[in-house]
Amino acid sequence: MAITIRQATIEDLEGMQNANLTNLPENYTMKYYLYHLLSWPQASFVATTTDPELDHQDKPSAHETKRDMQYVAPGEKIVGYVLGKMDDDPESEDKTPHGHVTSLSVMRTYRRMGLAEKLMRQCLYSLCENYDAKYVSLHVRKSNRAALHLYKDTLKFEVLSIEKSYYQDKEDAYYMKKNLVLSELVPSSFQGGVEDNLDEDLLESILEEGVGKLN
Amino acid sequence: MSKTAKYRPTASKEENQFREALKLYDSKQYKKSLKVIDGVLKKNPHHAESLALKGLALYYSDTDKASAESYITRALEKDSTNNVVNHIAGIYYRAVKNYKEAAKWYQAAMDHGSTNKSILRDLSSMQSQIRDFKNLPKSRLGYLEDQPGYRANWTASAVAHQLHGDLANAEKVLGRIEDLIRDKLQESDYFEHSECLLYRNDVIAQMGDYEAALKDLERIEATNMVLDGLSLLEKRADYLMKLNRKKEASLVYRKLLKRNPDNAKYYYQLEDALGVRNSPRVRLALYEKLASFYPKSDPPNFIPLTFLAGEEFKQKAKNYVLGQLRRGVPSTFVNVKPLYKNNSHAATIYSIVSEFFETVHDQPLTYCWTAYFLAQHHYHVGSYSEALKMIELAINHTPTLVELYILKARIYKRMNELDQAASVMNEGLKLDLQDRFINTKTTKYYLRADNVHRAIDTISVFTKNDDSPNGLRDLHLMQSIWFIVESAESYLRKYRKALGEHNDTEAKTNLGFAFKRYVSLTKIFEEFSDDQVDFHHYCMRKGTPRAYLTMIDWADNLFDQPMYNRVLDGLSESVLEAVRHKELFLTDHGHKKLKKEEIRKREELVQYSQSVAEDDDVFGEKALQEIIRDEKLDVLVKQQALLHQQDAVFTQIFNFRVNFQLKKYVLCLQSLNKLLALDKRNPFIGYMVDQLRNHLAESTPDTIKKIVSVGLMKNFNKADTANLLETYFGANNLETALVLARMSETVFQTRLSEIKEKLDPYSRGLVSIVQLSY
Repeated sequence: MAITIRQATIEDLEGMQNANLTNLPENYTMKYYLYHLLSWPQASFVATTTDPELDHQDKPSAHETKRDMQYVAPGEKIVGYVLGKMDDDPESEDKTPHGHVTSLSVMRTYRRMGLAEKLMRQCLYSLCENYDAKYVSLHVRKSNRAALHLYKDTLKFEVLSIEKSYYQDKEDAYYMKKNLVLSELVPSSFQGGVEDNLDEDLLESILEEGVGKLN
Repeated sequence: MSKTAKYRPTASKEENQFREALKLYDSKQYKKSLKVIDGVLKKNPHHAESLALKGLALYYSDTDKASAESYITRALEKDSTNNVVNHIAGIYYRAVKNYKEAAKWYQAAMDHGSTNKSILRDLSSMQSQIRDFKNLPKSRLGYLEDQPGYRANWTASAVAHQLHGDLANAEKVLGRIEDLIRDKLQESDYFEHSECLLYRNDVIAQMGDYEAALKDLERIEATNMVLDGLSLLEKRADYLMKLNRKKEASLVYRKLLKRNPDNAKYYYQLEDALGVRNSPRVRLALYEKLASFYPKSDPPNFIPLTFLAGEEFKQKAKNYVLGQLRRGVPSTFVNVKPLYKNNSHAATIYSIVSEFFETVHDQPLTYCWTAYFLAQHHYHVGSYSEALKMIELAINHTPTLVELYILKARIYKRMNELDQAASVMNEGLKLDLQDRFINTKTTKYYLRADNVHRAIDTISVFTKNDDSPNGLRDLHLMQSIWFIVESAESYLRKYRKALGEHNDTEAKTNLGFAFKRYVSLTKIFEEFSDDQVDFHHYCMRKGTPRAYLTMIDWADNLFDQPMYNRVLDGLSESVLEAVRHKELFLTDHGHKKLKKEEIRKREELVQYSQSVAEDDDVFGEKALQEIIRDEKLDVLVKQQALLHQQDAVFTQIFNFRVNFQLKKYVLCLQSLNKLLALDKRNPFIGYMVDQLRNHLAESTPDTIKKIVSVGLMKNFNKADTANLLETYFGANNLETALVLARMSETVFQTRLSEIKEKLDPYSRGLVSIVQLSY
């Protein structure tokens, strides 16, 4: 496993900044990260590794945080993040409350596990729940096919427009948007699993069916 | 509000002119303002208010920043009880980031009768910044009393009480404003309201009465005004667990899983709530159930691997690992690596994957990822040539997968073939020039190979270079800590290598660069700390006190974090090396005799290596000369003061090294004893004892020598060299080797050779480089 997904804290910001500098050409100083978390504390998420204890171990788990920007705790390094916010530009034309994804990236060696999708689903749910975001928008590089696939096909964003020379290196951006309805955004509902109806007593039902089956 | 003080009206012409200057200053017309002030000062050179304003205007107009402070000081000398002068001094010191002085003069302005209450707000920010929590509640309250119509001021007052350790008053203030505002809330206040309700609940919980906290939580939840559903659930579960109402808590954890089935913590907490941690059977059944709810989440599939054994482990591990290999998940090995802490699990996983490897020859991608997995396995257990063979198999099969090159480079690195490693990484980079991740890796590997220029050229593809020859300045602006620390370490290695080759010029240049980079790193962390300043007010207005308090904690530990330990190790190393090899810096290497060609080259190097605009000491030469001459090590002493965790292992080691150079041996003795109490086998203990016993400066007075030797007798009376070796240098690891590398006696060097034999080639190489300068 090693990977866990959780809301970002201030302590994570240095690791997020590091991941951003590692993966993407658009970078920001710490103050901008602080501004995100201190304005919208619920809008950003991280994916981290973990080093869980085993029942029987011959070697110890990590007990010290590595001297490396990626690490936030022993055995815990940031491998992906989404930095979210609400639009707060006083000059914005659209006054409906809406969110914006400032930055999202996952370390290359941790791809193909659906982390970006999971981070985004947490972010969307949270923007809608906490800040009443009616929709969320973002920019994607025209050449970034993987990201385009994620937003368009997996997360059902629509392309609103193409912004010419949006990026520093003059590449065009797709401007994309997705309308948000809280009840349709529950992250676990996209797994195709059996729904936990919260009614049954988990332990009882396990003792009846589960453990019996094992023996 | 006006940036400067409300002005006490008096009649004279002078005063009118001053008022005009103040107006101009407030509208940012600094040069015009200066002109008017100069008119006043011409007639009355002692006019304190004008002197102060001149200092401030000079600072902001960029005409003569350097002499700005002298005007402020002069104004204070003339009239230190004038509140306008005090206020201007406060503003000036805030601007130059001297927050302590700023707080002092803002406070003085209030004490000397200023009626401008907005000073209290700025004073509060300064007090928060310097953590003067004793005086903070009073200034926050003063401002609240002046402006009670804003909730922000109530929140700020509550936060001040909490920071001062007075939870009861914090709660009271929050309760009062909640009552006052209840019927006046508008939609735009909802988020702030929600955060403040939750904040008050935090405060109640922190007072330790979880019954009360739960009751309050239920109350605020019933108002339907709390937006943050995650916090509501997490708090509820937490309180229920603390109140031993576990069954109810388990239901809350299930709700949390529905929201986020990828947070491993909730699964463990659910187990605790259900009380099943001690029965593997029930645990397994539970996880099978949870996996049916959340089939695409990792934890319910992975966690059983941490408690199963034997055949059951094998079956589960097989499904887990092979499933990921078939899907081509690059991190499959990393995902199971925690299981390698159990030797038999490691063997089982290896046999599963090796067997599988034999069956996938006809599935190209799976074949590749499986070989990639096996190569990582060999790497992990230290069989580097096996690892290399396996990864080459994969690359020959599919030469287009970037990840394969990353691993191959990593294997070469561990074999200490650093140029080869960098060049393999660079092959990977050529496969995907758009991807910054592989660019970052390549840059890092060039730095590890001490090819700094190639590294800078590589990374500069992704930086904003404008009119600079490369991205160095941008990387400093963007606070790219990883890059700067890696380059600093590279320069330090290059310095030692040059020293080994008796190339003094080269040694000096590289040590200077290392020092410069380390200083830049300390400045970046200082920037982080300064970044707090605006938020002391902002968060209150925005209604995010909970997040604000986490910022305070973060900043409190900023300079104690492991990454900063690394920076301080390097900074002290570069400074202490310069002091130890002062001849490099104090003898003239004949700059005047440089040939034209050499001068041109040096100028090019200056351009190339500039990390900030307009730097007149790109080589760090002047700064180091200064440090060597004045012998006070201010640059390091300043850092000692930033370490808040006085009981951390690192603090003792850092303090010892600095104080030993300053010949403060009694303090060194204290650090040694503290370290012994904190980590009784730490190799630095052996180093410290040896230093204090055998390496005191010759000039040390006998009384001090006596104190030190008596002090050592207490804990190390029986510790002869053999004993030191056994107790503190018994471990065969890099940390121990790096300490021994600084100890010149033959016995220590013999032990070092033994350890080096047992290290991997890369670590061995690192130790050898350190030895070059000792």
